[in-house]
Amino acid sequence: MLKAPVIFLHGGVPGVTPYCSGAHIWGRALELFAAERKALALDLRGPTVEAQIEEARAALGGDAVHLVGHDLGGLVALALAAEAPQRVRSVSAVASVAAAPTGDSVVNLTLAHPPPPLWSRRSQAWALERVSYSHQHIDAALLDACERAARAHPTARSEEFQPSLMAAKARLYELCRERGYPVPAQIVWGTHDPLGSFDQGLWLFRLIAQKQRVAQFHAINRAGALPFREEPEAFHQVVSAFLEALAA
Amino acid sequence: MPMPEGRWIDVEGLRTRYYEAGSGEPIVMVYGGNFGTSDSASSAFTWNLNQRPLAERFRVIVPDKVGQGYTDNPRNDDYTMRAVVRHLAGFLRAMQLPPAHLVGHSRGGYACARLALEHHDLVRSVTLVNSGTLSPGVGTNEVVLSRPPYPKYTPECVRWVYQSYSFDPRVVTDEWVKAVLEILALPKYRESVRKIEEEKLGVKLFLPELAREKRETLQWLNEGRLQRPSQVIWGFDDRTATLERGIELFRMIAQHERRAQFHVINQSGHFPFREHPARFNALLARFVSQC
Repeated sequence: MLKAPVIFLHGGVPGVTPYCSGAHIWGRALELFAAERKALALDLRGPTVEAQIEEARAALGGDAVHLVGHDLGGLVALALAAEAPQRVRSVSAVASVAAAPTGDSVVNLTLAHPPPPLWSRRSQAWALERVSYSHQHIDAALLDACERAARAHPTARSEEFQPSLMAAKARLYELCRERGYPVPAQIVWGTHDPLGSFDQGLWLFRLIAQKQRVAQFHAINRAGALPFREEPEAFHQVVSAFLEALAA
Repeated sequence: MPMPEGRWIDVEGLRTRYYEAGSGEPIVMVYGGNFGTSDSASSAFTWNLNQRPLAERFRVIVPDKVGQGYTDNPRNDDYTMRAVVRHLAGFLRAMQLPPAHLVGHSRGGYACARLALEHHDLVRSVTLVNSGTLSPGVGTNEVVLSRPPYPKYTPECVRWVYQSYSFDPRVVTDEWVKAVLEILALPKYRESVRKIEEEKLGVKLFLPELAREKRETLQWLNEGRLQRPSQVIWGFDDRTATLERGIELFRMIAQHERRAQFHVINQSGHFPFREHPARFNALLARFVSQC
C-alpha cells in the first residue's frame, strides 16, 4: 500500500515575524520524509488565518494526507483537519505557539528589537538565532532562501491577522471541549523554545487529548522554536513513528 | 499474542528464564513489579504485545528477573533491588550480548537506569516507561492499589489491580490474567511471597534498601552519569506514576544528555505498551534505529 503523503505548513506571521518563513524552512527534515513517502511543503501567503486555511485546502488532493505544521502552520493544520476530517489522516503541530493557550501571558521579548533594515539578511539571521537553541542550523542556504522570500512577498502586516488568529483559536478550543478534536494529532515541542514554554505545549496536548484517543506529546531536547531544523533526525523519527503506527 | 518458547540460562548459579525472538540489534525489555506480591505478578508476558512485532527488525530479549516469573529466587534471601540489577547485568554478560537497548517499565525502569549507571559497557540506549520508582517525586501506587477488595491469588484480585493501573479496563484480557495466575501458582513464587509478606522482608529489607540506593541513583542521574541516549515514554492517565513524575525524570536526564526525548501517550495508564502497542512499538523502533 502506498504511504499517505505528508504536507508541510510553515509558520510566521505575515508582516510581523522578523524572518521570512516558507517552504524552504523545513530544510533537511523535508528530505528525510521525502525519502520515505511523498512530501510537499507549501508557501502560505494569506494575510489571515482563514486565507491560509483556504490556501492549504486547495493543496489537498483526492487521497487523505498527513499535515505537519509549524507555529501558525500548526494552527492552520489543526483548523483545516477539523473542517475536512475525511481528507486528513493526522496532524502534527510543531512548536505551535500560535495554537497554544496563553492566558494573560506577559509579553515575550525574544524578537522585540530586530536590527534594521527589517527582513534584510542580517536581520533575519538575528531573528533565526534568537528563536533557536543552537545557531548551527543557520547556514547560507537558509539565509539565501529567507532573503529570496522577503523579496518575493509583500511584508505589510494586516490589521485583520490578530482577530483572525483569536477567532481560529477559539473555534479550535470549543471543538476540543465539545465534540472533541476529530483527527489523530500530536504536539511536538523543543525543550528550549524561547517563544513558548514546555507547559504551553503540554496544554495544547491536553486540549486535544480531552476527547481524541489518538493523541501524543513529544519533547525534543536542546531545540528551540525550530526543532525540525535544529534536530532534524529526532524530529523525523518522532513524527514518522506516529504516521507509521496510524497506517498499521 | 503468544510469547516465543522460553529458554533457560545459568546466571551466576541462578536458573534464569528468558524469551528471545528476531535478529539484529539487541533490545532487552525489563518489566516492573517485584518478587513476593500476592495480588499481582509481573513476568515476561507483560511484553507479549511488543516482543514479536519488534522482533521483525530487532533481536528482542525478555528475561525473567530474579525471583519473578520462572527465574529462581535470590540466594541467601537477598530480596533487594541491588540483587535484581546484579542479576540483570549477569544475564547480559552470560548472553554475551553486544551493548543493548534497554527498555524498562516501572520498577524495571529503575533497574535499567541503575544498570546503565553501573555498567555503561553493556548499554547502548535507555528507554524508561512510567517509572515512578526512578522519579524523585511522590509515587501513588500505595494510594491507588492498597488493600485490594478481593482475596489474594484470585483472578478477581489480579484483574482489579491491573484495571486500576489502566485507562481502559478492557485492556486487562483473560490472557493477561491467566499468565499472572500461572506465576502466582508456582511453589517458588509462593516461597517469595512468604519471605516478602509473611517474614516482612518487603518492609524490612527491600523498601529501605531501595530508598537508600535510590538517593545515590538520583544523585548519579543529576550528575550526568547516564551518558547514553535516553527516552522517557509516559501513559498520560497513569494514576500511580503521574505525568509530573515523567516530566521530572525527563528534565533530570535532559540536562546532561542531548539525545533525550519525552513522549506522552493519551488514554493510557501505567502500561502504554499494552494499551497502545502499535504506537509504542513504532516509537521504540524509530528511536533504537537512530541510536
